[in-house]
Amino acid sequence: MTKLIGQRAIASLLSLLALLVLVFFLSRLTGDPTSLFLPIDASQEMRDQFRALHGLDDPLLVQFGRYVWDLIHFDLGDSIRKARPAIDVVLEAYAWTLPLALVTMSLVVAAAIVIGSLAAFHVGGFFDRFASVVSLIGASAPDFWIAIVAIVIFSINLGWLPTSGVGTPWHWILPVAVLFIRPFGLIVQVVRGSMLAALSSLYVKTARAKGVKEGKIIFIHALRNAMLPVITVIGDQAAAMLNGAVVVETIFGFPGIGKLMIDSILQRDFNVVLAAIMVTAIAIFLMNLLIDIAYSLLDPRIRH
Amino acid sequence: MKLRHALFGALLAATAMGPAYGQTNTDITIVLSEELDLVEPCMATRSNIGRVIMQNVSETLTQLDVRGGKGLMPRLAESWEDRGDGTWRFNLRQGVTFSDGSSFDANDVKHSFDRVFSDQITCESARYFADTDLTFTVVDDHTIDVKAEPAQPILPLLMTLVTIVPSETPMEFVREPVGTGPYVLSEWVAGQHILLKRRDDYWGEQPQVTSARYVFRSDPAVRAAMVETGEADIAPQITEVEATNPATDFTYPNSETVYLRIDQTIEPMGDRRVRLALNKAIDREAFIGTILAEGTELATAIVPPTTLGWNPNLKPHAYDPEGAKALLEEAKADGVNVEAPIEVIARTENFPHVTEVGEALVQMLNEVGFNAKLRMVEVAEHEQFYSKPYPEGRPAQLIVAQHDNSRGDPVFSMYFKYHSQGTQSGVSDPKVDQMIEEATAATGDKRAELWSQVMAYVHDEVVADVLLFHMVGHSRVSERLDFRPTIATNSQLPLAEIGFK
Repeated sequence: MTKLIGQRAIASLLSLLALLVLVFFLSRLTGDPTSLFLPIDASQEMRDQFRALHGLDDPLLVQFGRYVWDLIHFDLGDSIRKARPAIDVVLEAYAWTLPLALVTMSLVVAAAIVIGSLAAFHVGGFFDRFASVVSLIGASAPDFWIAIVAIVIFSINLGWLPTSGVGTPWHWILPVAVLFIRPFGLIVQVVRGSMLAALSSLYVKTARAKGVKEGKIIFIHALRNAMLPVITVIGDQAAAMLNGAVVVETIFGFPGIGKLMIDSILQRDFNVVLAAIMVTAIAIFLMNLLIDIAYSLLDPRIRH
Repeated sequence: MKLRHALFGALLAATAMGPAYGQTNTDITIVLSEELDLVEPCMATRSNIGRVIMQNVSETLTQLDVRGGKGLMPRLAESWEDRGDGTWRFNLRQGVTFSDGSSFDANDVKHSFDRVFSDQITCESARYFADTDLTFTVVDDHTIDVKAEPAQPILPLLMTLVTIVPSETPMEFVREPVGTGPYVLSEWVAGQHILLKRRDDYWGEQPQVTSARYVFRSDPAVRAAMVETGEADIAPQITEVEATNPATDFTYPNSETVYLRIDQTIEPMGDRRVRLALNKAIDREAFIGTILAEGTELATAIVPPTTLGWNPNLKPHAYDPEGAKALLEEAKADGVNVEAPIEVIARTENFPHVTEVGEALVQMLNEVGFNAKLRMVEVAEHEQFYSKPYPEGRPAQLIVAQHDNSRGDPVFSMYFKYHSQGTQSGVSDPKVDQMIEEATAATGDKRAELWSQVMAYVHDEVVADVLLFHMVGHSRVSERLDFRPTIATNSQLPLAEIGFK
């Protein structure tokens, strides 16, 4: 297990370095942030001063060298727009994205496993239909539409929930619910399909013949074997969520990493873009590691 | 059945335990469209910062009264006089304290300007003083002389743009601004909210609003919904689609002017007949009440009608497609390549329905014989086409641009847009240059008259651009408030102007 973690860490570190070089130069290809920070009628003197102040007048390689040197000293530079350390800005946003992703994915995984398994057990039954409807909504209705409709119904018409914001647990209900639909719709179908295959396998028939209770057959015998493809999809969906949920963040005023990243790219706030990508890359690396560990726990063939 | 009961129970519990949105009656919440990156007073001319900081936390020496139409009014300066030789004397208000308890005096004014011109920080208000050297002489604690070289006749007006900070303020962007305004920034939770609280020791009249909480939502439908549900009291920027409730929604001129910038250096735009044909080809009236909001006005100048020297005698170019065709034929007969491809470049999300406006403009231009194509670009790319140096080897281009001037004087617009050295100018006409320079240097009625003449010359004689619309903004204001947005609401939102019914 330690060897596995070590190998993954080294591979990820190399990818991270390649990513750093790529993003550093690609982001600078988009142009100079000066014209976006300063008003359009700013004088040339103001523009020159701004460039000098932020080291933008140095050759690109000098800028890169300075960035790497600072990075070695754990300094990811300052945000041009916000005039404070880029890493602080990113971690603040991550402090919202991470719990949002954790809460949503936990609910998604729990609900998808239970409902997907029951749907496979009673094909055409209530849970099967429920899963189909949610999957259809998730696949066909855009997030922003669901979010606005949810606000109209639950905030404006019924007055049960706040429209947006992050102040109380009540503020989390709509964003989590909207974020829930798409991954749930996807994972529940994978669970259902995988369970159908598992439930028709010989070892399940044997268990039934031995008189094992249905609940135990579904959730103990079949589920463990059905989980491998499910974990892959969970990993994909969780990674997408760790990248931020731009639409949900935008509509519900949730100060997460997705909107920060988009805004920083549009405003050419290079240090924030780099810091956000690095932190996200590390988070995804850690999550992939968890997925690998889960695989090896579920499937002894991988472990050995 | 059990599940249904459980769900019903959960919903019932949610209703019973729902959050309380009620606030004390004089605390208000304002929902803005974008979060503030900075709260630095010297950046308060940037509209998103200005709406929170300007005249709430930080004050200026003078202020422009757009609500009562009284023009330039005293604020931290009680009076001012032109002492000749480019020197203005400002007599400062006494008994004023900053929110940190220190007293306001002439050294604070000097330091505030030192920060604006410092090379250690990039303050936005510096742009209003380009090519002008200011020297500050502290006469006594409450008197300061400001000498401008060359002489600056509107120096008192420019003082509405520089916020005053204590002389201890460091030469770096501050996150806890200290000002003389009626409010103090008491809390800033990045990404969530900013809280301003009323000061008890403010020198002026106590405003009615005791505290203002600013929150940020990008989606206009959500901002409008927040006022509707009582979560917020003012949403200064909603769209026309949301502005449907006459009891809470206001439509008002927002000081933005939309126009097509013509670059006369590229064929066929150098020919006046072609520029006139561009103007006659556009059915401006057809936009209003269809893809642009009711209340939008036709523009005859780059500045709104509330600006000094705005010329009421100018009439928008009438829609005359046949006249436009005839002008193009005439130009063509003289060898002008009127069929040269023209790029109409517009910026995504520049204003509501910008794409539709661009498409309609292109359609109208092509109907009279132009060969125009729409190109939608992002803000950064737009800037490259709009501001000098313009790209080399470019085809003929018409830039769809929106310009904001709520400052009361054309000087903030005319030089940049029409002087041959102006950053966004497509004109190179010595007479225009001279007229702008003369108007810039003039004062009083003479100034208004000269600006009127510049506007007439640019519009009727040069036909410098295709002026289109003075835009309107929409705001939703809670029924419990006594507040009406003005043309300045785009750039500042003084809480002292808000009352309760």
